[in-house]
Amino acid sequence: MYYLERNSSNVLIIGAGIAGIQAALDLADMGVKVHLVEKRPCIGGKMAQLDKTFPTLDCSICILAPKLSDCYRHPNITLYTLSEVQKVDGSEGNFSVEILKHPRYIKEDVCTGCGDCAKICPVRGILNYFDANLVTLAAAYIPFPSAVPPIYLIDRKRCVYLTHGICVLCTKACDAEAIDFTQKDTIIKLNNISSIIIASGFNLIEDINPLKEYGYKKYPNVVTALEFERLICASGPQQGHLRRLSDGIDPKKIAYIQCAGSRNIKDKKYCSSICCMYTTKEAMITYEHDNEVESYVFYIDMRAGGKGFQKFLERGKAEYNINYINNKIAKIKVDENENPIIIYEDLNDGKIKELKVDLVVLATCIIPSEGNKKLADILGVDLDEYNFIKTKPFFSMETSKKGIFTCGCSHEPMDIPRSVAEASSAAARVAEIAKGR
Amino acid sequence: MKSEDEPIRIGVFVCHCGTNIGGVLDCEGLTEYAATLPNVVFSDHNLYTCAEIGLKTIKEAIEEHNLNRVIVCSCTPRTHEPLFRSACEEAGLNKYLFSFVNIREQCSWVHMKKPEDAFEKAKDLIKMGVARATKLEALETIVVDVDPSALVIGGGISGMNAASNLSKQGFKTYLVEKEKNLGGLLNSLYRLFPNDQESSELLKDIESRIQADKNITVYTSTMITSIDGFVGNFEVEINQNGNSIRIKVGAIIVAVGATPLKPINLFGYDGKIRITQFELENVLKNYSLNANNIVMIQCVGTRNEERMYCSNFCCMSALKNALIIKEKNPDVHIAILFRDMHTPGIAYEEYYRRARESGIIFIKYSPEKPPIVEENKIKIYNEYLGTEIIIPYELLVLSTPLIANEDNKQIAQLLKVPLEENNFFLEAHVKLRPNDFATDGVYIAGSAKWPVDITESISQGYAAAARASTILSHDTLEVEGATSYLPEEYKDLCRGCEICLKLCPYKAIRKNEKDEIEIIQVLCKGCGVCGASCPKKAIKIKHFTNEQILSEIYALGGKELP
Amino acid sequence: MNFEPKILGFLCNWCSYAGGDLAGVSRIQYPPNIRVIRVMCSGRVDPKFILSGLQVGIDGIIVMGCHHGDCHYLEGNYEAEVKFKMVKLLLSLVDLQDRIHLEWVSASEGVRFGEVVTSFTESIKKLGPSPLSGENFDQQLLEKLKAIELAAGGERLRALVASKRIIMEEGNIYGEKISQEELDEILISAIEDEFLRQQILLKLKNEPLSVKDLSQLLNIDSSVILKHIISLKARNLIDYIKIEGITPFYQKL
Repeated sequence: MYYLERNSSNVLIIGAGIAGIQAALDLADMGVKVHLVEKRPCIGGKMAQLDKTFPTLDCSICILAPKLSDCYRHPNITLYTLSEVQKVDGSEGNFSVEILKHPRYIKEDVCTGCGDCAKICPVRGILNYFDANLVTLAAAYIPFPSAVPPIYLIDRKRCVYLTHGICVLCTKACDAEAIDFTQKDTIIKLNNISSIIIASGFNLIEDINPLKEYGYKKYPNVVTALEFERLICASGPQQGHLRRLSDGIDPKKIAYIQCAGSRNIKDKKYCSSICCMYTTKEAMITYEHDNEVESYVFYIDMRAGGKGFQKFLERGKAEYNINYINNKIAKIKVDENENPIIIYEDLNDGKIKELKVDLVVLATCIIPSEGNKKLADILGVDLDEYNFIKTKPFFSMETSKKGIFTCGCSHEPMDIPRSVAEASSAAARVAEIAKGR
Repeated sequence: MKSEDEPIRIGVFVCHCGTNIGGVLDCEGLTEYAATLPNVVFSDHNLYTCAEIGLKTIKEAIEEHNLNRVIVCSCTPRTHEPLFRSACEEAGLNKYLFSFVNIREQCSWVHMKKPEDAFEKAKDLIKMGVARATKLEALETIVVDVDPSALVIGGGISGMNAASNLSKQGFKTYLVEKEKNLGGLLNSLYRLFPNDQESSELLKDIESRIQADKNITVYTSTMITSIDGFVGNFEVEINQNGNSIRIKVGAIIVAVGATPLKPINLFGYDGKIRITQFELENVLKNYSLNANNIVMIQCVGTRNEERMYCSNFCCMSALKNALIIKEKNPDVHIAILFRDMHTPGIAYEEYYRRARESGIIFIKYSPEKPPIVEENKIKIYNEYLGTEIIIPYELLVLSTPLIANEDNKQIAQLLKVPLEENNFFLEAHVKLRPNDFATDGVYIAGSAKWPVDITESISQGYAAAARASTILSHDTLEVEGATSYLPEEYKDLCRGCEICLKLCPYKAIRKNEKDEIEIIQVLCKGCGVCGASCPKKAIKIKHFTNEQILSEIYALGGKELP
Repeated sequence: MNFEPKILGFLCNWCSYAGGDLAGVSRIQYPPNIRVIRVMCSGRVDPKFILSGLQVGIDGIIVMGCHHGDCHYLEGNYEAEVKFKMVKLLLSLVDLQDRIHLEWVSASEGVRFGEVVTSFTESIKKLGPSPLSGENFDQQLLEKLKAIELAAGGERLRALVASKRIIMEEGNIYGEKISQEELDEILISAIEDEFLRQQILLKLKNEPLSVKDLSQLLNIDSSVILKHIISLKARNLIDYIKIEGITPFYQKL
C-alpha cells in the first residue's frame, strides 16, 4: 500500500534505529515530509545487529529489512547517513536546522554495491562496529552485506589516498566510476522544521568502562551480550557456529551474568530492562544450535513483564536446559585453560560457591548514546543525571522543550515493542503540530 | 496503456553490472540467446541497466519496438523491481508487465568458479522469465475512499489520549465508554508512581480537554453492537441506554483496558483486613488506615499455571503505596513479600531503592514455598536464612494482576480480531506492529493488549492514534494490484465451504449479501494462500497465477504448457 | 557418470529469497543446478506446481519458506507445510518422495541457504536422474503421476488439507477438535483411495475395462478395485458400457 501526498510540513528525526525508522515511516505515511539523520553509514541501529528477537524468536533482520527498504525508498523520507545535526534554532512550529554530512567518497547514486572497491583496497584491519569489532574490514567497506543504503564508503581516516595521497586502486577497480575523492563535508540547511524527534538510541557500558571486575578484555572467554549476539548470528563472524575466542572450541557450559555494570552504586544504579529476556533468548538460540549446551543465568530479579515474557522464561527452564541462579557475583577468574570460574554468593542459601564454565556472557548496562550530551546542548533539551533525555512524567515522548520529542532508548532503556510504540506515539504528537492545529 | 489483444512483444535487457555479472557470464551470449526465445522482439545488454542511461534504453526500446513486456536480467527484484517498474510506467507500460530475472545474487555471485554452468543456469532463468512474461497481465491498482474519522472503544487513560490526539490531528473522533464515567481504572487510584501525582488531577486534566473538544463526541454508558465494513469505511452501530446510533468511521482503536483480579480463596482474602492493592488505593484516598503492621504479598494469583504472566506494574503499585504509608507514618512496619521485584528502567529502580532505604522490609519467597496466612500472622520461609519467619499483621495487602475483561470475546468477534490465550487482544506482530491488528484499520492500545502502567498506556494511546492516522490522513487508499480474487467466470465453482475465509490472515475474505465469497481487494496482501488452498481452485492470484508459474515450470522442463 | 540434476526451487519472497540474495551478496558458492521461482509466500505453492515439475522431468524440487513464526503473512508457511506433507505422502506411493524437500531458511541465513541447496543437490545426485527424464523414461510412472496430480487437485484432498489446521485449532463443524495423528490417518487413507480412483479413471478414459482387467493392469486386488468402482459409479463418474458374458465393462463418463 502506498499513499498520495497531501501535507508538506517538515519534520526532523535524529537517529535511524528501529525507533527513528518507525517514527519516520508513520509520519511519512501520514503525508508528512521527514528528514531522517543517521550518524552511521547505514540505518537499522542495534536491532540490525541482533540475531533473533524475544519472545517470538523471529529473525531480527528478516522482520527489520522490509522496514529498512521502505524507509530508504519512501518518497516522503529524505535520509542523511554519515550525518549529524550541528545546529538548531527557532521554536516549535519553525525550527531551522543544520546537518553536517560527511562524505562517503563514493557517489551514492552510482555505486552498485558490488564490493569491487573493498576487494582491491590494500588497507585492512579496520574494526567493524557492526560485528561488535570482532571482524575487520578494508578501508572501502559496507558494514554488513544487506545494509541500507546498499552503498559502500571509504574510511577517511584509514584510506591511504585520503591520508597520504597514494593508492587509488579502488578508482581503477570500480567499473561504475563511483569513487569520488573530491567529496567534502557538506552542510545542509533545513528551514521550516515544525518539530523534532530524538531517537538517538543507546550505547553499552563496555564502550566507556572496561568492566575489569568481570575480566572483560582480560580473559578472551568473557564476552559481552552484543558480541555474543554477533557470534551466534548466522550472518556474523562465525556464521552462527559458536566457538570460543581463545581456542575455537565449542563451549558446552555457558554462564550469563545479569546486571553487569547496572543496578549497583558503583556503576549505574538503574536497570537496563531488557537483559533478563535477551539472555534467555541467547541461551535458547545457543541450545538450538547445540543440544549439549548447559546455560547458567546469574540474576538478581527476573524481570519479565512484557507480553509472553514469563512463558518464554518457563520454556527456557523446561526445554532449553537453562538454570537460573539467584546470586551476587563476587569475582571471575580463569584456570590455566582460560576457562572462567565464577565465584558467587547463592542468595537461595547464602553460601559462597564456584562454578567453572567454558564461556561467560555479560549482560552489560545500557547507557545513553554517546552523542546525547552534545545533542542536548544543540537542541536545548534537559538530560537526566545519566545523560538520558529527560522526559515528562506519564508523557514519555515529551522532552523539556516544546516541539522536541523523544522515543526509545534515548530516554530510558526499553525493549523493541516499547520502542516501536513510543516511536509511533512521538509521531502522533508531531502530527498534531505538523498538521497545524 | 497497451491493448491486451495485440501480439506479445517482449524486450529483454541483460545487465553486466560492471564485472559483477559480466565477469562471470557472457552477457552478449545471453542477449543473443534471449533473442531466439518465443515472443522476444528485442534484446540488448548494458553495463549498468539501473543507471540513468540504462533506464533510458528501456524507455526508448518500449517506444521504438512497441514492447508490451519488459524483462531485466540483473540483480534482485527485492531491491530493484520498483526502479524498473517505474521506468516502464514512464514509458506507458503497465508496471505489472515488467518481469525480473535475477542473474547476479542468485547466479553470477554464487557460481563464480563455474562460469559455464552459471551461463546455462542464466539461460534457463531467462527462458523461464520469458515464459512467465508471456503470461503476464496488466493490473490496475485499486483506490477506495477513506472516511476521515475514528472510533475509540474505551474511555480510560489510553483511549482518552488516543481520542484527543486524533482530534488534534483534525479527525472527527467518537469515544465510546461502557461505564457511566470516563477515566477507567484511574477513577479508583489514589496517587500515581513515579511522581506521586494525584490520579484525579491527571484525570481531570485530560477529561476536561476531551469534553471541551468539539471534534470529539463522547458516548458513555454505551456498548458496541455491530461493526461492518473495512479499512477506511467502517459502519458501526452503538447502543446508548437503549438508543441505537449508527456512525461511519475510517479507523477503530480498541482501548478497553483490563480488570483487576479479585483473589477469591487466595491468602484468606476477605476485603476487610486482607484486601487487594487496588482496594488499598481507596483506603488511602480517605487515609482511613489504622494498622501498624502491614504485609504485602506480590504475584497473587499470577505467574502460576493458570496465569503464566507478570502483570507488570504491581511491584510499583506496592512500592508506591508502601512509601505513601511510610511517609505519613514512619513507625508503621511494612514488609513486602516478593518473588522478583519488577522495577525496570531508571525511575522505577530509583523508586525501589528509595523504598529499601525507607525501612520497608523485602523478603523473597519462592512459589514452591508460598507465604502461609494465618489469623493475624504470616509464616514465610526465608531461603537465604534457611528458616521460617513469622510476621504479624493488622493489614494484609494482596497485589493481584490485571486480567482480561470478560467482554473482550464479544468485541473481538465484532471486529474479527484475535485474542491470545489469556484473552488479551493479540496484536499483528509482537515486535514491530505492537499497536496494530493484522486487520487493516483496526488498532490496539493499553492494558487491553497486556497489563501496562499509566505511562505506557498513554504512549500506546498516542501510538495507536498515529497508526490510525497513517490511513486517515489520506482521502483515498491506493492498493497493490497483485491480489487474489474470485473471477466472475469461476463464481459457479465456489461451493461456499468458507475455508478461504478462515485461512485468510487479514480477514480480507467475506461472504457478501448475495452469500457469495468476496475478497476485499483493499485488505488482500496477495500471499496466495487462499488460492493455493481452495478445494475448487476457484480463486485467482493475480501476478502469481497458476498459468504464470506453470509456464515457468514447463519452460524449465523444456515442454509446452498444456 | 557425471550426472548434473535439474533442480527447481520455490522461494518465498520475504525470508528464503532474501536468504538466497544474502548468499549472493556474501559470495557463498553452491552448485549451479538450482533454478528459482519466486513466490510471495511458501503457502502459495500449489501441490500442482510440484507434481507438474516432476512430470516435466525435473530431478528435484525444493520449497523454502520462513521459519515458523517468521512468516510475513503470519501463518502461510504452516499452510505450505501441510500441503507439502500431502504431496510427500502421495509421492511415496510411487517412490518419488525423496525428490522433493521443504526447508525453512531465514533472510539472515545466507550461509545456510548455500548449505541447504548444496545438500539437496547432493542428495538428488545420489538418487540419479529422474525416471521421467532422458533415456530411461518410465511411461507407466508418468501415468501414475498424472493420477497423483488429479488426486491432489481433487476437491476431497484439497479440502481435507486446507481445513486441516482449522479442524485442529477450531474443531470441525460439530465443534470436535481432532488431533494431528487422527487427521494424518484420515489423510493417509484418503490419499490412498484417491490415488487408486484416479488411476482407475485414467484407465477407463481410454477404453472400457472390467474389474478383472483393472486389477491386472494396476496390480491391485480385485475386491479393492470393486469397492472403488462402486463408489465411482455412485458418484456418476463411471458407468457400464457393456456386459460380456456376466462381466460388466466400465468407462469414464
